[in-house]
Amino acid sequence: MKTLHKFYCTLIALLLAVSSCHKLDIKPVNVLNDDQIFGSEAGINTYLAQVYRKLPIEDFSYRPAGRDGWGFNLHHEWEHFWHLGAGCGEMVGPWGGLDFAGGFGYWPYADIRAVNYFIETLPRYSDKYVGNKVNELLGEAYFLRAYYYFALVKRYGGIPYITVVQNFPQQTVEELQVPRNKEEECWNFIAEDLDKAWSMMPETSVSGRANKYAAAALKSRAMLYAGSIAKYGSLNFVEGDARAQGFVGIPADKAEDFFNRSWEAAKLLEAKYSLYQKEGDKELNYVMTFLDNNSPENILVRDYSVPGNNAHSWDATFSPRFMTADGLSRAYPTLELVERWGVLNVINPDGTPKRYDDVVTLTQGLEPRLLATVYFPGTTLRGLKFDVRRGIYPSFSGTAAAEVAKPDNQRNMFTASGQDAKYNDEMQIIGMTGISTSTDQWTRTGFYVRKYIDFRRPQSEVGLFTSTTHWIEFRYAEVLLNRAEAAVETGKTEDAMNCINLLRTRGGGATLSQGEVTVESVRNERCKELAFENHYWWDIRRWRTADVILNNQRFKGLLPYYVYDEKKFIMLREQETFGRNYNFEKRAYYEPIPGGELAKNPNLYPNNPNY
Amino acid sequence: MKQLITMAGLLMVLGFTSCLKKDNLDGPNASLEGNFFVAGTKNNFQTATGSIQVKLEQLSWSETPAPQEIPSKIDGTYKNSKLFGGHYRVTPYGGAFWPVLPIEIDISGGTKQDFELTPYTEINNFTVQLDTTTLKLRFDISAPVEAGMPTITEIQPYLNTTSMVGPGASIYEFSDMKKITVNKEWADMTPADKSPEITIEGLLPGRIFYVRVGVRYNDSYKSSNLSNIIQIKVDQK
Repeated sequence: MKTLHKFYCTLIALLLAVSSCHKLDIKPVNVLNDDQIFGSEAGINTYLAQVYRKLPIEDFSYRPAGRDGWGFNLHHEWEHFWHLGAGCGEMVGPWGGLDFAGGFGYWPYADIRAVNYFIETLPRYSDKYVGNKVNELLGEAYFLRAYYYFALVKRYGGIPYITVVQNFPQQTVEELQVPRNKEEECWNFIAEDLDKAWSMMPETSVSGRANKYAAAALKSRAMLYAGSIAKYGSLNFVEGDARAQGFVGIPADKAEDFFNRSWEAAKLLEAKYSLYQKEGDKELNYVMTFLDNNSPENILVRDYSVPGNNAHSWDATFSPRFMTADGLSRAYPTLELVERWGVLNVINPDGTPKRYDDVVTLTQGLEPRLLATVYFPGTTLRGLKFDVRRGIYPSFSGTAAAEVAKPDNQRNMFTASGQDAKYNDEMQIIGMTGISTSTDQWTRTGFYVRKYIDFRRPQSEVGLFTSTTHWIEFRYAEVLLNRAEAAVETGKTEDAMNCINLLRTRGGGATLSQGEVTVESVRNERCKELAFENHYWWDIRRWRTADVILNNQRFKGLLPYYVYDEKKFIMLREQETFGRNYNFEKRAYYEPIPGGELAKNPNLYPNNPNY
Repeated sequence: MKQLITMAGLLMVLGFTSCLKKDNLDGPNASLEGNFFVAGTKNNFQTATGSIQVKLEQLSWSETPAPQEIPSKIDGTYKNSKLFGGHYRVTPYGGAFWPVLPIEIDISGGTKQDFELTPYTEINNFTVQLDTTTLKLRFDISAPVEAGMPTITEIQPYLNTTSMVGPGASIYEFSDMKKITVNKEWADMTPADKSPEITIEGLLPGRIFYVRVGVRYNDSYKSSNLSNIIQIKVDQK
């Protein structure tokens, strides 16, 4: 026993002695170090994949405040009806007001630091790469940095524009508390970064990564924002210290210069990209514009995959449950959006509603682009018909206007909150896909979203987290619209007309004459072409029209009714059935600097006006 | 042995509690209240709930304090009785009145502070005429100070079933849908613009309504000057 004891003691002592020779200072094996990342292209791709994943692209799963505080679309979100368009009248949905205007504290300086670190570190490894590779990658980093700052500046105005890697505790707290730059400076910095990106990046890139044309497209977008903020923000503004000191707002005389830079950047893409024209049928062509992976229109896309665990649910959450395997819908295009194409002719000259044998007759003669953007009552998806009805009139006489003006309880009609209720025990009062009076899951306006819906997928496969349609962040159509708007703001109406007419011809609509090209008509074209692509909210903000458009506003739908004794349908333009109010406070043109950041850095004061 | 354990236990409890710091700061036992008066009168400024905010910045706490606000009540007063005592900068803002300079005061228990505000416009001679279920509203608008007034965007009635009536507390069909869009400078307004008449039809019989009118401006807050509130009783048919 004693010998055994001694043996163990010796053994332990020996082990200790041997292990003492080991150096403790070894590199951790579970963390990638600079050599591994920057030493090879594979390492760099891994590093950049993370940067791209966090890039503030407002895609399918973007929800401004995020879910449970997760922030930008990193949370496997499926509730796509919390869509920017549903908060501001492009659609109506559960958002009764602008819940996203109060700011959700987006402050991605950690992500910007990752890009700055890349820019500082990569040149040290330049001997590992041949040719122009290092330069190209640096250009891409400048594009990414500009993109992050674009998302910040469009929310807050002037912010600290940090282009170096900050270190703590090597730097003092005072050094790290960088003051805000003026808003105008910030837009100029973004332009500088993008100019560098343009001169350094290659012409082509793999799917999901940017090339030099993505940089030009972002520049045309950013400069357009700056131009309209300068022009319209000088007329309609909120007074406060931050404005007086230039942290928000741009002097009006800078507008022209910004518009010109937007126009020039957009021009760089000419003949390099083109509108999608592969299908002969105009309606199908516009639908496929958003579904075809090999579209000559796509400049930068974000890809999704089921194994990658980031598939989205757009198909399942913008169609009624009737047409999907799972999920439910909640946001619906407004009549205001639909009538951007022109007022729908549902009323006879004498004021009585037109009678229809089938509601789908209404779609005859409408622009194919509109039909490819919005599902009308009576159209079909996955073999099923959008069977949309608000209710039944036993009989109907009189004018549409007089009927709509009556309170609901004085109207001689039957409505129901569910699909089971029947009239005379034979006919469903509302159709299979609405219009509902109680729940949000059937249309409230008569319409459903069609853009980005993949009609080719069978119903049984359309469930949550199964959609892998790519999100097109930059497409050539937007560049043309940026160019047209910049052109019309600087008096180049002919150029604006040519751009607009390219879009109108592709969409199957009538062309504009030069006399019809105004700031208003160009804006309207933008709202039509970019519907549901998360542009509208930012556009009405930078045009400074949000407080006029959303002035205690309620939006309308086109509600079909069945007239029982005539066996015909009529359609009335009335308030959407939930009657939600939409409001915009003027201070929301800028979001408040997040309180936590103000506490850390007093140099961020003054906060934006009225916060 | 048992005693020893008890002793040790007691000592441990004492030892731990000795680490606790006593919070000797005062609780929120200070208060601030007051009236908004129309300048030069002792009439309360017509407000709606929250239409004017009193901004408080506690300078004795920080040079850059996070502001807190006391919203106005419907009767043109304000009050918050759960404030921390200290030195504050106080600014009323948000309503339709000419900007006032901030004041600095020490707030403790029962502090009172009134503000004299000059409205952009005054709504005078507000009368209502009820004809079975149709309501006609008449009033005159005048401006105490004309130069530099913000653009007038709209004139609108507010009708509600409670005395809490004003922007944000009204029946949409009888209020927002009856608004008159103006979008004019004061100097460009005609005498007819300044003495409008608004008709509201289809009030429900047998109900009591409260009604007032407002003039709204395109200032930083899109705020409104409001009339006094009148009660309406619609007779049963």
